Amino acid sequence: MNYQFDWSVLWTGQSGQWLLQGLVTTLEISALAWLLAGALGVLSGALRTAPWAPLRAVAAFYVEFFRNVPLLVWMFFWYFGVPPLLPKPFQDWLYDHGAEFWAGTLALGVYHGARFSEVIRSGIQAIPKTQFEAALSTGLTTMQAYRFVIIPVALRLIIPPVTSESLNLLKNSSLALTISVAELTFQTRQIETYTAKAFEALTAGTVIYLLLCLAIAGVMARVERRCAIPGMIARAAPAEH
Amino acid sequence: MKQVTIFLVAIALLLAGKSPAGAETTLEKIARTGVLTIGTRTGSPPFAYINQKNEWVGFSIELVEQLVLPPLAKKAGKPVKLEKKESAPPTRIPLLSSNAVDLIAETMTDTRSRRDSVDFSLTFFVTGAQFLVKKGSPIKGIKNIGGKRVAAQQGSTNARIIRERAPKAQLREFPDQPAAFQALAQGQVDGYTNDGIQLAGLKAKAPKPGAWDIVGEFYSYEPYGMALRKGDSDFRAVVNNGLMEGIDSGRFFEIYEKWFGPKGEVPYPMAPDVKKFMIYQSVPK
Repeated sequence: MNYQFDWSVLWTGQSGQWLLQGLVTTLEISALAWLLAGALGVLSGALRTAPWAPLRAVAAFYVEFFRNVPLLVWMFFWYFGVPPLLPKPFQDWLYDHGAEFWAGTLALGVYHGARFSEVIRSGIQAIPKTQFEAALSTGLTTMQAYRFVIIPVALRLIIPPVTSESLNLLKNSSLALTISVAELTFQTRQIETYTAKAFEALTAGTVIYLLLCLAIAGVMARVERRCAIPGMIARAAPAEH
Repeated sequence: MKQVTIFLVAIALLLAGKSPAGAETTLEKIARTGVLTIGTRTGSPPFAYINQKNEWVGFSIELVEQLVLPPLAKKAGKPVKLEKKESAPPTRIPLLSSNAVDLIAETMTDTRSRRDSVDFSLTFFVTGAQFLVKKGSPIKGIKNIGGKRVAAQQGSTNARIIRERAPKAQLREFPDQPAAFQALAQGQVDGYTNDGIQLAGLKAKAPKPGAWDIVGEFYSYEPYGMALRKGDSDFRAVVNNGLMEGIDSGRFFEIYEKWFGPKGEVPYPMAPDVKKFMIYQSVPK
C-alpha cells in the first residue's frame, strides 16, 4: 500500500473542533431519538400485550411497518416526504431552523421505537401471568397493573437487550449525514475533504464511536446491577461483568 | 454502509502489512489479471452515469475506454477488460489506496492537498463552481448567498470554499447529486452549488430544464483529473500518454464533442483557451 500516514491532521487545523462538534451533534440526536424511541417503545410494547385486540393490532402495525423499512428510507421520508405536507410558512421556518436535525431525530426515534417495542414486549411476556392476576386481585385496574407492576418489572428485565439497541441507535445516527446532519461521521468526512487523509479521519471517528459505546455499555452494566430484582432467575452472580 | 466495508478491508490490508497484491505495481497487476478496475459514478451525467438504456456510460468512462485501454493492452500484451465500481467523494481515495480500484475516472478535482495522498493524470476537463437555482431566484452568485440555504456535495471542494468565503450562508451538504437536487426542488434549500458542468448536466436531465437557472461567475477553478495510487509512475505514464495521444490525434476532442457538443448529452462547448490548455498539456514525443 502506497499510503503515507500522517496522524497530525487530527489535531492540526480545525479537525479537533470539528470532531468535537460532530460528537456533540451525535450525542444530541441520539439522546433525543432515544427518548422518543423509549416512549414509543414502552407504549407500543405494552399495547402489544393489551387485552384488547384492536390495540394490539395498532401496535403490531406500527412495529412491523417501521422496523421492516430500511432506516435510510425513513431518513428520506422524514426529510423529503413529510415537510411538503405542512403549511408553506411553517415549512420555510422549519427549513431555516434545523429541519435536517429534526427529521433525523424522528427517523431514528420512530424506527428504533419499533425495535424497542419488541424488546419491551418480550420483557412483559416474560412476567408470569399469575403476577398480572395477582396485581388485579389486589384491586388494581388493568392500567394500574401495567403501570405499577408489569412495566417496572419488565423494564428491569430488558436492560441488556435495551443496551444493545441503544448502542445500535447511537451508531445508526450516522445515517443522518445523508440528510445533511453534521454529526460525527459527517465531520470525519469533512476532515478527509480538507486533508485528503481518509484513513486517519475514519480511524478517529471509529475510535470515538467505540469509546462512546464502551462508556455507555459500562454505565448500563452498573444500572443493570443496581436494578436487579432479588429473587428472580440467575441472581446468583449479579456482578458478572 | 459500503464505505465502512471498504474501510474495514483497508484496515485488514494495513494489518496484514504486505498483502500479496501489495508488492506488484498496477501495471503488473493489470498484466496478470487482464482487468483495469476504475472507480466512477452512477449519477454524474455526462461524465459517468447510468443512461436510459441502463448502460453505465459517460465522458470520463469513454476516455478510459478509448484512450487508456488500448495502450494498456499493448503494455500488458493482452486485451484488458474494463471493470467499473461506484465511487463517491468520501470513498474514492480509500478505494484507490486499498487497491479496490486502480484508477478514479469521474469528476474529481485535482488539488494540491489531494496530491499528498494520490497522483493525478493530466487535466481532462476544466470547469468552476456556480449555483443552480429556481428561475427568478434572488441568488446571483457567491456574493449574495449570505443567510440563504445552499446545498453542496459532501466532500467536495465547493463546500469548503463556501464555508470559507461565505460563512453566513447556511450550508447543507448531501452525499449525492440526486438528494441535493431533491432538496432544491422541494425548497429545503434555495440554491445548489457544484461545478458548473455538473449543474448543466443536472439541468439537462431535470423534468423541466427551463425551470432552472445556472447563475454566478465561476468562484473556483476545478480541473478534473484521473486519480491513481501515489508513486506508481509507470502506470501514470501509460495513462498520460494515452490522453496525450488522444489530444494529438484529435480523438480526445471528438469524444468531448460527442458528450458536450451541440448534440451531446450536455451542451458545454470547450472555450478556446481551454482547448489551447489541453493541447499544451501534451508534451512532444
